[in-house]
Amino acid sequence: MDWTSWLVGTVSRALAFGVPLLWGTLGEIYAERSGVVNLGVEGMMILGAYAGFAVAQTLGHPGWGLLAAAGVGALAALWHAFLTVTLRANQYVSGLALTLFGLGLAGLLGRGWEGRPLRAPLGAVAVPVLSDVPVLGPMLFRDQTILTYLGLLLAVVLWVVLFRTRWGIAIRSVGESPATADSLGISVARVRYLCVALGGVLAGVGGGYLSVAYRPAWTEGMTAGMGWIVIALTIFSAWDPLQAIWGAFFFGALYHLSFRLQAYVSPELLKMMPYAFAILVLAASGFGRARWRARAPGALGVPYVRGER
Amino acid sequence: MRKLAIFVMALALVGVLGLGAQRIKAGFIYVGPIGDYGWTHAHDVARRIVDGKYDWLETVYIESVPEGEVETYIDQLVRQGCNVIFTTSFGFMDGTLAAAERYPNVIFAHASGFKRAPNMATYMADFYQVYYLNGLMAGALTKTGKIGYVGAFPIPELKRHISAFTIGVREVNPTATVHVRWIYEWYNPAAAKEATEALIAEGCDVFAFTEDSPTVVQVAAERKFPSFAHYSPMYAFAPDYVVSGQLVHWEEIYDDFLLKIHQGVYTTKNLAHVDYWWLLAQGAAELGAEMGMPINPKYVAPLKGYVVNHPQFGRISVYDLVFLRYNQFADPGITFDPFEGPIYDRKGVLRVPAGMWMSYESLITMEWAAAGIVGPWPGEP
Amino acid sequence: MKRLGPLFLERRLAPPRSVVFGVSFLAVLVALLLAALVFWAYGVSPVRAYSEIGRGTLGTVGGLSDIVRRAIPLILCGVGLTLAFRAQFWNIGAEGQLLAGAVAATGVALFVRVPDGFRLPLMFLAGFGAGAVWAVVPALLRVKLRVNEVISTLMMNYIMAYIVEWLVHGPWKGPTMRGFAYTDMFPVSARLPLIAGTRIHWPTLAVGVLAAVVVALLLSRTRLGYEIRVVGQNPDAARYAGISFASVLALAMVLSGGLAALAGVGEVAGVHWRLRSPGHVSMGYGYTAIIVAWLARGSPIAAVFTALLFGLIFAAGDLMKTTLGLPFQITGVFNGLILFSLISSDLLMYWRVRWAPKEKAWTGQAGL
Repeated sequence: MDWTSWLVGTVSRALAFGVPLLWGTLGEIYAERSGVVNLGVEGMMILGAYAGFAVAQTLGHPGWGLLAAAGVGALAALWHAFLTVTLRANQYVSGLALTLFGLGLAGLLGRGWEGRPLRAPLGAVAVPVLSDVPVLGPMLFRDQTILTYLGLLLAVVLWVVLFRTRWGIAIRSVGESPATADSLGISVARVRYLCVALGGVLAGVGGGYLSVAYRPAWTEGMTAGMGWIVIALTIFSAWDPLQAIWGAFFFGALYHLSFRLQAYVSPELLKMMPYAFAILVLAASGFGRARWRARAPGALGVPYVRGER
Repeated sequence: MRKLAIFVMALALVGVLGLGAQRIKAGFIYVGPIGDYGWTHAHDVARRIVDGKYDWLETVYIESVPEGEVETYIDQLVRQGCNVIFTTSFGFMDGTLAAAERYPNVIFAHASGFKRAPNMATYMADFYQVYYLNGLMAGALTKTGKIGYVGAFPIPELKRHISAFTIGVREVNPTATVHVRWIYEWYNPAAAKEATEALIAEGCDVFAFTEDSPTVVQVAAERKFPSFAHYSPMYAFAPDYVVSGQLVHWEEIYDDFLLKIHQGVYTTKNLAHVDYWWLLAQGAAELGAEMGMPINPKYVAPLKGYVVNHPQFGRISVYDLVFLRYNQFADPGITFDPFEGPIYDRKGVLRVPAGMWMSYESLITMEWAAAGIVGPWPGEP
Repeated sequence: MKRLGPLFLERRLAPPRSVVFGVSFLAVLVALLLAALVFWAYGVSPVRAYSEIGRGTLGTVGGLSDIVRRAIPLILCGVGLTLAFRAQFWNIGAEGQLLAGAVAATGVALFVRVPDGFRLPLMFLAGFGAGAVWAVVPALLRVKLRVNEVISTLMMNYIMAYIVEWLVHGPWKGPTMRGFAYTDMFPVSARLPLIAGTRIHWPTLAVGVLAAVVVALLLSRTRLGYEIRVVGQNPDAARYAGISFASVLALAMVLSGGLAALAGVGEVAGVHWRLRSPGHVSMGYGYTAIIVAWLARGSPIAAVFTALLFGLIFAAGDLMKTTLGLPFQITGVFNGLILFSLISSDLLMYWRVRWAPKEKAWTGQAGL
């Protein structure tokens, strides 16, 4: 077996499998940067997957499906925001409840939609010219949907916004020290609502990708734990949108390789590799320089009450 | 006169009781959700068919039951008045057996297991013959000589299927190989997709699988590769690329079993040796990706055009060979078996001596891999 | 303090127990009303639904025993988690620690030569040890290398699940299981006794209740308990007080993981009598226990009761599937509603509504 087949296969699959992870992670990064942990990613993704499929199937266009997925994700996230920001409920428990509720509701609504292929799936785009380049073409420009490239673009944009604009400063200061942000006239609640909602939109699209593009059909529980990988990736990428790209595609590559390498290595060992790797990388970064150190936003998980420290 | 009245009343009472006993409330316990479009879905389709057929029959079901919880649910079904209970996962075996001892007046039937009791039968609709037929077609359709197979778990049932499939492949294409990947889950679309992609990267160009979703069919079709469906009708998922497949008809078994209870043939005392092992001949398995369509018309021409020199039948097209074998399986006397010796495993060990067939016992405990299988094979002897 | 017409709201720091209980009770009622809408949408009369559930769970011996049996692993995991959460250590890893206990117990049950009478105690000991080891790793990673515990404990759940998967498919696959992925059945000496007529493995239940009492005493009466509380409430103060953050956290996690692992021992020795596919052993108990511990507000004794509440919810979910014929996903929706309602009510506990009709009194106070 020649090395190009390995390279092309691994990279193109890493991208395709990494897309929902990337979208979900970018969203969760924003939510957590503003100080709100949302463990409901799995729930938002499955709701997005269901809504995406149902709408795309009914209206006959994948675009509507993805839009619906984004909308449903946003609604679910706003609910989380309402509970945790306005009612100051425990974020971990609210997120767990959202996952439980989302999986249940999507399964309930999805009954009767199984066993039918999506009539209007989102296809792969062959980028003109570039897709004909040997090796690079099939590796990057032939088997990807538009969401791969949009996701990459989004990561860059979100990085710029977070680290190079006033909005980004506002978001980060709300996540680090809401009291300070508040005293500077930033509305902590508004920033958190917006960031959590953005997280929901992106998680919803990530879920929609699964049912509209990745495997265009609806089946019960089709997110199969991806939401939890997103939670891990968020920390793994040190709350940095650019590192999220690397993280998501690295997970994608490992996942794909776990099947590719099955003939040589025990599959259980390969399947636990991404998880073990996440811990190892974090541990190794503990040894390294401060820049590398994954440091959580200061006020992560803490509800903000004006007048309290 | 009074004696007569008592006698008539007693007779009437017996009649009422008899009628009462003939009414059946059957409970079905499933391991997965009925929307899985695989194993559980197929059992539920069958349940609805028999439920609609008899007015003396009422059915209820419980889906997504964890293996360790089966006894709890059996208790609840019994409390609700079920007098026949089907449990449809191997992992339910010991729980069902314990419940059968606890409720001697309830009839139990357990799918895919091997433990029985006076009030507990076992049943299984098996596919290895159909997999063999699919293998014949796959062998004819591959251009690279590599066929991909996505398996759920390396258990005897799948090993039997993959070996039968490979024996079919090799019968018409002696150098072809079957490449196997396991996903270690009955149902995980993402894993099935990446496993298929890994096989595509390895050069496979025809696909078959045993897991509970149409993923492999969809992924293969995206790359314009033919594939074989599994368990449920999947023709609609890729009308141009699904060649054939296996379809199950659990209703044949349920119908027979329930009718015999209704007629009083099966009771809570005589099931210790009742074991349904139903194949093509009994109608429990069907060849095809859509009911009533054994081979996708689009693939008839290529299969007719692929002619082999068969040691037994001389020059014959694979299309004709498939139907010849099909008729041998469908014959009530069954005149052929895929595992007809001599069969060597991939390590060169003679597993079935010339002219012999495998016993039922050795079929359901099969661990070896037929020659031509490539890839990991946990538990290989 | 906020003023709403004649009412005014004031914040309180520690709500009295009666308020916590009352508000939580109200929250569950609200959730039940919301769920009634769902039942109604499915064409099941809510009255019938709740009377069936009430009769099937609390009204029969079988129903009650199901509640207790489902609560056993939740009690052990929940009590363990209250300890970790008191130290502000977000242990999401009870699921993996439970499995670690199940693995160790299976190893002792099937592969260690030991006199029959010692087998079960040894299984519990080995299980506790395995869970402790599995739980102390994230504690050390956090202390020494600043690895976030949410991610490390979550990741270690997956790793342990794959270890179990590997064991049942590989080296521990039972020769009598005809190639299926289960270990052999435990010998009789490795099976826990059940309360007659039920499926309650009472030794695990006893251990769980005992653990709750011991942990409660530990937290309130011992130096270690004091240190755990200080570390949780104010790490800086702990440092000034000369408390070793590392050793306190490590000890808390040894106990937390060890207790979760005992739940795993109970499941394999009392319910399954073998090791099988990880999801069917752990059943998400480790995750549910997070909610159990949170609802108990860090009190191990309260965790016993919140665990029973979730046992009831699970049993009610079973009944919805069986007697009411509702789709199984409805249990997820039902549980989600209850949780949402409980956490929304959280805020309510910390505010006291006072009737203060006199404008003057208010301005007077403000003038002071």
